[in-house]
Amino acid sequence: MQKHLSDGELRAALDGELDAKFLPHLETCTSCQMRQQQLQEKQREAGRLLAFFNPAEQTVPPAQKAWRRLSQKIMLQKEISMTKKWFSFPLVRFGFAALALLTLFLAFPGSRAWAGEFLNLFRVQQVQVVSVDFTGLEQLTGDGTLGNRFTEMIGDSVDMQQEPSEPVSVASAEEASELAGFEVRIPEGMTPSQINVTSGAAFTFTVDRAKSQALLDEAGRGDLVLPESVDGAEILVNIPSAVSVGFGTCPTPGSEVSGNTEQSTTESRYPDCVIFAQIPSPNVNAPADLDIEALAQIGLEFTGMSAEEAQAFTSTVDWTSTLIVPIPQNASVNEQVAVDGVTGTLVQRSSEASQFVLLWAKDGILYAISGLGTNAEQAVNMANSLP
Amino acid sequence: MIGSMKRLKAESAQKESSSLEFERLFMEHWASVYRVLHRLVGDPAEAEDLALEAFLRLYHETEKQKTDGMNAGGWLYRVATRLGLHSIRSWKRREHYELTAGRYALEESEQASPAEILAQQEERGQVRLVLSRMNERQSQLLVLRHSGLSYKEIAEALNLEPGSIGPLLVRAEREFEKQYRALAQEE
Repeated sequence: MQKHLSDGELRAALDGELDAKFLPHLETCTSCQMRQQQLQEKQREAGRLLAFFNPAEQTVPPAQKAWRRLSQKIMLQKEISMTKKWFSFPLVRFGFAALALLTLFLAFPGSRAWAGEFLNLFRVQQVQVVSVDFTGLEQLTGDGTLGNRFTEMIGDSVDMQQEPSEPVSVASAEEASELAGFEVRIPEGMTPSQINVTSGAAFTFTVDRAKSQALLDEAGRGDLVLPESVDGAEILVNIPSAVSVGFGTCPTPGSEVSGNTEQSTTESRYPDCVIFAQIPSPNVNAPADLDIEALAQIGLEFTGMSAEEAQAFTSTVDWTSTLIVPIPQNASVNEQVAVDGVTGTLVQRSSEASQFVLLWAKDGILYAISGLGTNAEQAVNMANSLP
Repeated sequence: MIGSMKRLKAESAQKESSSLEFERLFMEHWASVYRVLHRLVGDPAEAEDLALEAFLRLYHETEKQKTDGMNAGGWLYRVATRLGLHSIRSWKRREHYELTAGRYALEESEQASPAEILAQQEERGQVRLVLSRMNERQSQLLVLRHSGLSYKEIAEALNLEPGSIGPLLVRAEREFEKQYRALAQEE
């Protein structure tokens, strides 16, 4: 005779899930039937209480609308990741020096010098932000094939004359000024928790038109055609030493915290950290016949502007004196503010990963005050309390 | 050069295909994942946020590894119920949670009297509280079974043997009743 069914098997029988091979026994065994009845009685109250989980008629938010929300979330996360790489992370780790590298493609001097000579016109006197769609840049800087090829192309095209040092910690603004070669400013009444100096960098970038165009094509932007004349152009970039002054509890420069952890974690660990970065204007030397405006237009179109918008933008910018800072589209707001006797730009990201950066240029020095969270007002107050 | 261009194009096509596949998964499972979460947390807005979070995690999972043969529905149910239970636990003021759930119930029902609806919502609030206090796997098992999933589907979602679902359900329901009675005595 077959052995009696277990409670689990009897429970499965109540749900119509009992293995068919046990059914003949259950149909003939009064003992099992009685136990099943008792089990059903016991289970009845739990079943009644949990019955509301059974999906009856229920309104569900439209899938298309939810899909759009999800797509935005995914995009925002990619933008945050990009921001870390291109914006926040360099600001924290290398001060302003790495941020200045962003000017490489977007802020060359205008093509108005003498044939056959280099030009040395780029001196930052103002800062302008431009909203960009980071999708294209994400492709280029990600870990995918395109990203690897971009990195390879940069590696092949850049000849470093001077590598930037790892940040060196110093004890005072005076020491930082001596090391960096310019006067470092500290807001009155504030005591830094750390001061770091990063030595300057110098490199030459030689344009390989074929490789650059192939990358644009593969990124799906074959409509953007680089001028033939850019091939072989040598661009010299010289970035002075930068100083990064931290207030509050800030990550140690060189640690991986700002690059590898989630924004929310960083914010919770360093809620009061504010970084004040200072750097003299970088020098960019390019061949006189390099059509910088055409390249800038391609760069802007690649990052989401229409051809008309890019043309309008490039025609209004003085490329010889303006630092262009890209900020993520749809995730940031920026406004002009009066600071330190000049007009600065306050960029605020008020979405899931709040952060702010106040940028301005004065007397040939670039300044940036950045922090996590939403208290951007302190950046303005700090800038206005500089000696 | 031509070879690498072909490879890049193939990779690009594969990426496009993965993206379409993910969208298809979303459209297929959105309603069912939302419904389970709505019943679990009681608040439509919270349920929508949690459902999106579950899909966001699935997206990253599909980016990290090949998901051929992966049971996306089961994976989503497991993550969604975990998120829902975690959400209930995180309510600091239980009263607020119950009132919120009750408010939406009033908006939903057209037949019962307000008093009946509020009594029903209080009971559901207690059920949710008990589920949040129980062993997570037992709670998931109860939620998924009473949401109408078959033993096979539950087994796939929770990485269990189908044959173990019956015995585990018996134990989970006994534990649920025990804790529900204990909660009633607390009040």
